[in-house]
Amino acid sequence: MVEIVSNLLRQELANLAAADKRIDGRGRWESRDILLETDCLYNAEGSAKVTWGDTIVYAGVKFEVRAPWPDRPTQGSLMCGAELRPVAALKYEAGPPSPESIELGRVVDRGIRESGCIDMDSLCIIPGEKVLGVMIDIHVLSDQGNVFDASALAAIAALKTAIVPAERFDIGEDYPLQVQKTPTMCTFTRVGGRYVIDANVEEETGGEERVHITLAEEGHLHSLQKGLKGTLTPAEFAEILEVAQNRCAELAELVKSKEA
Amino acid sequence: MGGYGDVQLLRDDGLRLDGRKLDEMREVQIEAGVLPAADGSAWVKHGLNVAVCAVYGPMEAHPRKIQRQDRAVIDLRYNMAPFSTSDRIRPGFNRRSREISKVTAEALESVVLVERYPRSKIRVEIEILSAEAGTRCVGITAASVALADAGIPMRDMIVGVASGKVEDTVVLDLDKAEDNYGQADLPMGILPTTEEIAFLQMDGDLSVEEFNLCMEYNMKAAKEIHEIQMDALRRRYESKNGGA
Repeated sequence: MVEIVSNLLRQELANLAAADKRIDGRGRWESRDILLETDCLYNAEGSAKVTWGDTIVYAGVKFEVRAPWPDRPTQGSLMCGAELRPVAALKYEAGPPSPESIELGRVVDRGIRESGCIDMDSLCIIPGEKVLGVMIDIHVLSDQGNVFDASALAAIAALKTAIVPAERFDIGEDYPLQVQKTPTMCTFTRVGGRYVIDANVEEETGGEERVHITLAEEGHLHSLQKGLKGTLTPAEFAEILEVAQNRCAELAELVKSKEA
Repeated sequence: MGGYGDVQLLRDDGLRLDGRKLDEMREVQIEAGVLPAADGSAWVKHGLNVAVCAVYGPMEAHPRKIQRQDRAVIDLRYNMAPFSTSDRIRPGFNRRSREISKVTAEALESVVLVERYPRSKIRVEIEILSAEAGTRCVGITAASVALADAGIPMRDMIVGVASGKVEDTVVLDLDKAEDNYGQADLPMGILPTTEEIAFLQMDGDLSVEEFNLCMEYNMKAAKEIHEIQMDALRRRYESKNGGA
């Protein structure tokens, strides 16, 4: 569905930005309230529900036993997928995965994978024969802005509380999945000419490009992505990276507070 | 049905494996208005099943070929989340979910006053987050609460319930083991006030007497779940008026 963006909304957002205000009264680097619940689904081996303002995202972790890739006989695998199903908002339609949901899944996947939070060798059962595959599925139930950060948070929280169902696979006793780092994402959206964090649905509709930064707790960058039409300057990037450092550290603390 | 095998499903004291009586259903919890993006929504937990339903519309029916000149169409999707079962499900529609979507939409079309909205569609999205036997019924229960929450006029609510047979005994509301190893399953969508049946499927083996007992159990359970549905809607509108 094509979104119709009124010039009135664009103008309003620009006026607010000029006065250093936001449409819902928040500060530029102020997020909406986040509620993180883990272990909330019965059949998933790890699960999380994130209620981020009015955006609601679930993530579930499943495992499978599979043959390793021939070139990496001792390594397991990780896959993260996202679905922006029609349940999440009026604008989403049924059908094969949209480019938006593929981007969402892949950006979250990269942040987790590249942080090295999972040692792929630890997923080996029998070298060359059997390894574990870890699958994270992100299910967006309500999109009211910033599904990227909410999805990344749900994914890492689900992963960090996952239990490998070893008994079901006949490979020993169940054990918690080892996850060494806590990569979290902070998304910046250009609204009325300047960047803000955690854009709501109006700011996304009337805004321009967005930049996704994924950092782990050591402060290193693990994934970057610029989406939608627009450009940014190196000075702008330096500014938002500094904000992201603080923001991601807070989010990582939130995830860690849910760990056993 | 999954076949009989030598799985014991009834305990020696006559109760079921999870301690329920033969005509006892699993615990049901319902919340209305859980999804901020939707026009109407509902969350239903039935035993270990969790379903969430969103309703959007009525709106212009698109694509045009689905339009009806005299009524609204219900554009419904029943979808199981990849992590909702013990083995991951590949995302996307399959034959099972297509069939369930079709018959569920037809069941809802028979209670919604579709003739009030010619040439339009009402989108109903059922998402199963956790599955433990009986998800289509949970989806129907959720959909009717979500439709009511969206303010769409209906003749009655619909309640999804199932009975079946295990070890030659009729039981209400099969759980996973009973569904897998039982002998029959009879899911129904019932209009609780008029006792009409808007949704009906069955597989397995039932005698006429057994069928009648299943029906009796289903009717009784439908009235209980209906109370929970109405309670959820009342709480939703209390908070709408009282809060904010």
